[in-house]
Amino acid sequence: MSATPLRLSGPPLAPRSVARRRIVNTLVTALAWFAATIGIGVMGWIVVTVVVRGIGAWSVAFFTQLPPTATQSGGGLANCIVGTLVITFGAAVVGLPLGFFGAIYLSEFGRAGHVATAIRAVTNIVLGVPSIIAGMFAYAILVLPSHHFSGFSASVALAFIMLPVMTRTAEDILNLVPNELRESALAMGAPRWKATLGVVVKAARGGLITGAILAVVRVSGETAPLLFTALTSQYWMSGLFGPSGYFGGPTPNLTKTIFDFSTQPYPHLIQLAWGGALLIIVAVLGINVFTRLLFQRGKEW
Amino acid sequence: MVDIMDTTDPGAPPPVARPLPPRLEVTPSSGAHEPAAEFSSLPSKLAVRDLDFFYGKSQALFGNNLEIKENRVTAIIGPSGCGKSTHLRCYNRIYELYRDQRATGEVVLDGQNILASGTDLLSLRRRVGMIFQKPSPFPMTVFDNIAYGLRMHFKLSKSELSERVEDALKRGALWEEVKNKLNEPGLALSGGQQQRLCIARAIAAEPELILMDEPCSAIDPVATGKIEELVQELKSSYTIALVTHNMQQAARVSDFTAFFFEGRIIEFGATTQIFENPAEKQTEDYITGRFG
Repeated sequence: MSATPLRLSGPPLAPRSVARRRIVNTLVTALAWFAATIGIGVMGWIVVTVVVRGIGAWSVAFFTQLPPTATQSGGGLANCIVGTLVITFGAAVVGLPLGFFGAIYLSEFGRAGHVATAIRAVTNIVLGVPSIIAGMFAYAILVLPSHHFSGFSASVALAFIMLPVMTRTAEDILNLVPNELRESALAMGAPRWKATLGVVVKAARGGLITGAILAVVRVSGETAPLLFTALTSQYWMSGLFGPSGYFGGPTPNLTKTIFDFSTQPYPHLIQLAWGGALLIIVAVLGINVFTRLLFQRGKEW
Repeated sequence: MVDIMDTTDPGAPPPVARPLPPRLEVTPSSGAHEPAAEFSSLPSKLAVRDLDFFYGKSQALFGNNLEIKENRVTAIIGPSGCGKSTHLRCYNRIYELYRDQRATGEVVLDGQNILASGTDLLSLRRRVGMIFQKPSPFPMTVFDNIAYGLRMHFKLSKSELSERVEDALKRGALWEEVKNKLNEPGLALSGGQQQRLCIARAIAAEPELILMDEPCSAIDPVATGKIEELVQELKSSYTIALVTHNMQQAARVSDFTAFFFEGRIIEFGATTQIFENPAEKQTEDYITGRFG
């Protein structure tokens, strides 16, 4: 080796020790493995605990009956399951279109402009805002003026959390669409909106749908925003208005009910809380896996 | 080298002509003639006058003057970064997608300065089609790709539409390969087929001028050969401006060639003259491979 000149002029270069690099390499690899094991291990621990404790609560009654009182036995969380679905759906109806069109503005029209830069900055801030703030916001603008809690105010709070998630994800995905495709559509004489919706969005549709579903899943397990808005209820939600309607009063939901039941001294209520937790984990995990499988080919670009 | 000016077969019938919209009269070049004399006698489709172009504050084109002759292929050659694509992108104002890009001067298409404010970009871009470096089929079926411009610009019945899609695919030399795949996604085709799909898509909308921005640089030699043949056939009905960094390609397919260097047009003339007897030292250095 020393016979090969490393430089054309000057003294030959002294090679570094290879042994030291090997040791450092081993150390770093071990550290990475250690960190990954801890991280994944804790996740696994949570899932296993919830499954073990929660699976016992699952029965036909769990999915079909109202929650029991402290002295009753049996019962389920059927009203909460329905309520959570309705609240989350309401949030998606409000939050997803806003986030989608916000993303279109950012990636297709605003781009590097001042307005877009400002919106992006605000989006990043809102993304980091604790979710309870979203609850307080909905409380201030909806619950206080109307003097009652409602499922709708919870949907608004969740939409407020969903909005920046959807905007950022959708913008990232739209940015993956090559500019050549935009130019091709415009070069055909397409107006901007047509090129955007008919070609760019279409090209990104897999990723956009994935992003939307993940944004919905992201908020479906939120609890804090519901404390000030939906509260919860031990009854069925009935209709839209009226004291037990979506717009009119406290609306049953899984997360707040889990929160309430888990602090009760009654084992059968605590058991139901575990069952609810399991349901949320299974649903979130299931939807995640399903979406990723379904839209794997969305990464064509 | 054979006189590449006369590769068009004068006896070949013009591609299927249809009543809508009025097609340009086809005048195939006939017999040998002095290229320089031909240049001044040919009708001009597009004229560029004192075109400057800016990316933000940096100027990319300096006083470009150029004429694109009707039913001829004009090649734009030059080393990377010399402004050939930038120049071409002024012909349909596609650069306006980017807010910091700006052109001054005149680009006159059939007597109308398209850089003037008030130009209707949508109809301009119907008249001026464009093919890009990377094949860019839309995320839809082969049929819908071709029908995209037709549906947008014309009122057509279903049967007229499919007739015209077939016609465009035939003119794009792609029909035989895709006639059983019309309902498959355009992205499922091979790279060379995708590029011909893009050409067929552009000609379906009945453009008068077709811009090609290095259309063969992302595809293999066989597919390149097919596209070059296609360009030769298309020029009887369309005017073509072709940017290429492949000098052999320019020599093979074009009638006139402009040599760009550092944003300026160094030399413009008949392709035979540019390649066999360039007037400028820089042109000669470039085409003989001394730089670029």
